[in-house]
Amino acid sequence: MDPLWTNIFRKKLDEESLAFFLKHLPIFSELSPRALQILEGIVHVRSYKANETIFEEGDPGSGMYMIRSGTVKIFAGGQNNAENELASLAVGDFFGETTLTAPAPRSASARTIEATELVGLFRADILELAEKHPAVCSVIFLGLTRIVSERLQAASLEIRRLKKQIGDYTATEGIET
Amino acid sequence: MSNFAQKHRGWTRAQVALAFLVLMAAIACGLAVYSSASSLIVLSREAFSVLFLPLLLSLVLAFLLDPLVTQLEKLFTRTGSIFIVYILTLMLASLAVLWLTPHWQEFWSNMGADFPRYTEQVIVGLKNVISALHDRFPMVAQYDLPAKVHSWGEQLMSAVLAETPQSAMKVGGLLVIVPLFTFFFLRDGRSILRACVTLAPNRHFEMVRDLSYLVSRQLSHFVRGRIIEAVIVGLVVGCGLSLTDIRYAPMLGIFAGVTNLIPYIGPIIGMVPGILIAFVDLGAGGQFWWIVILYILIAQVLIDNFILIPILISRVANLHPLMVFFAIIVGGKFYGVIGMIIGVPIVSVIKIAMLEIRTYRRTFRLPESNLEGERLH
Repeated sequence: MDPLWTNIFRKKLDEESLAFFLKHLPIFSELSPRALQILEGIVHVRSYKANETIFEEGDPGSGMYMIRSGTVKIFAGGQNNAENELASLAVGDFFGETTLTAPAPRSASARTIEATELVGLFRADILELAEKHPAVCSVIFLGLTRIVSERLQAASLEIRRLKKQIGDYTATEGIET
Repeated sequence: MSNFAQKHRGWTRAQVALAFLVLMAAIACGLAVYSSASSLIVLSREAFSVLFLPLLLSLVLAFLLDPLVTQLEKLFTRTGSIFIVYILTLMLASLAVLWLTPHWQEFWSNMGADFPRYTEQVIVGLKNVISALHDRFPMVAQYDLPAKVHSWGEQLMSAVLAETPQSAMKVGGLLVIVPLFTFFFLRDGRSILRACVTLAPNRHFEMVRDLSYLVSRQLSHFVRGRIIEAVIVGLVVGCGLSLTDIRYAPMLGIFAGVTNLIPYIGPIIGMVPGILIAFVDLGAGGQFWWIVILYILIAQVLIDNFILIPILISRVANLHPLMVFFAIIVGGKFYGVIGMIIGVPIVSVIKIAMLEIRTYRRTFRLPESNLEGERLH
């Protein structure tokens, strides 16, 4: 065997490994290699067909999903109402992280657009991890809190902007009438 | 008509034979499938009955040792901490065996002589009761109760003596198999559960994962609680009895602890031999009443009901007394005495699982109905 070829082979495998994928998600970027190895042991890799429902609005939510391959559509509204697409997510994106710590019903539905591989991280696994490896768990939670805070901040800015827009709109309406 | 008959006859000659053959083949196939299926069922039932007890004991042991292993796991690897826990358990067990062996030997050597004496006493007591009854209800004399009790006692004794070498073999087998199974349950329990959960379809995977966690947590609490309760009650009874002059105090303590695993009926069965031996050997004096108080007031009411059950066992797992009787009777029918002991915990386990599933579903139904209400407005 040519050592050059085996080396190339190994490098490629590394990049395809689950730990490599997790390491490049913003939530887990601070994890040490050992912590990544532990994390690798508690996540669930699930493969979905095209157009398969991942969860529906109102389902009991208990964890987050990360997209390893494929695309996922997030939408509001069930079978009766028209689907109101909220987002289309691709490789490296994640969703459902708000129900990871607090049990709550899903606030939107998710469905795959093409054949998709998802990596799931669920509350049950996180709670077990908290007992066994509290340090690793706290690093994961720090990453999660950072992401959730960023999103919250963006959302509150957006709300302020919209409020201002409504205020401007009603003001102009008031002048006109 | 005749045309039809002719036609029909012409049709039958060639094809009735074929139809007959097909029918016979179908019946033969059906019989073959049926017999193989029933032999498969018999086979799997036999395999299950052989594996049932060791699997159950190993699961219970794994539930008991798991918290210890998880604590040690912060310092060592999982396998390493299991070995450490095993060595500690082995040391404790060998100490217990060392302490118990003389009592055990005394128990066996004396039991052959003592057992007839106790049954004799019971028969004498019964005879008194019956003669008193006979004065009022003459027809009772038709039924020879003392002789019955005598023959029951002898049967029980000979059964115990005959069964002991057999059960010793069984226990020896269990001593090899159970630690082995427990080791793998402790080491791979989580991944076994994970593998089972992974089989769930995508749509229900999340719920199955959540429920498996909730149910297994409740189960481990329940099993651990029950075992610790039984050990403490056994210890209290054993210690309390050793303060008196009663014989076989350690044996009676162990018996009370084991029977305490059965709710409602267990404690009563557990105190019968102790009170009987106390009555026969010590007479109805102060020590006898101390033993009665120990069994009923101290061990059951004070320790078990006021202290242990509120701390260790949630009220959720409580079964209706009728369910307890059903579980004991059906368990006894399937697996004898062991079935009687494990029947109730198994029913409790099923109840816990069902309750967990119900509360889980209810938790999420409330907000959902709120959402729908909002949507309607």
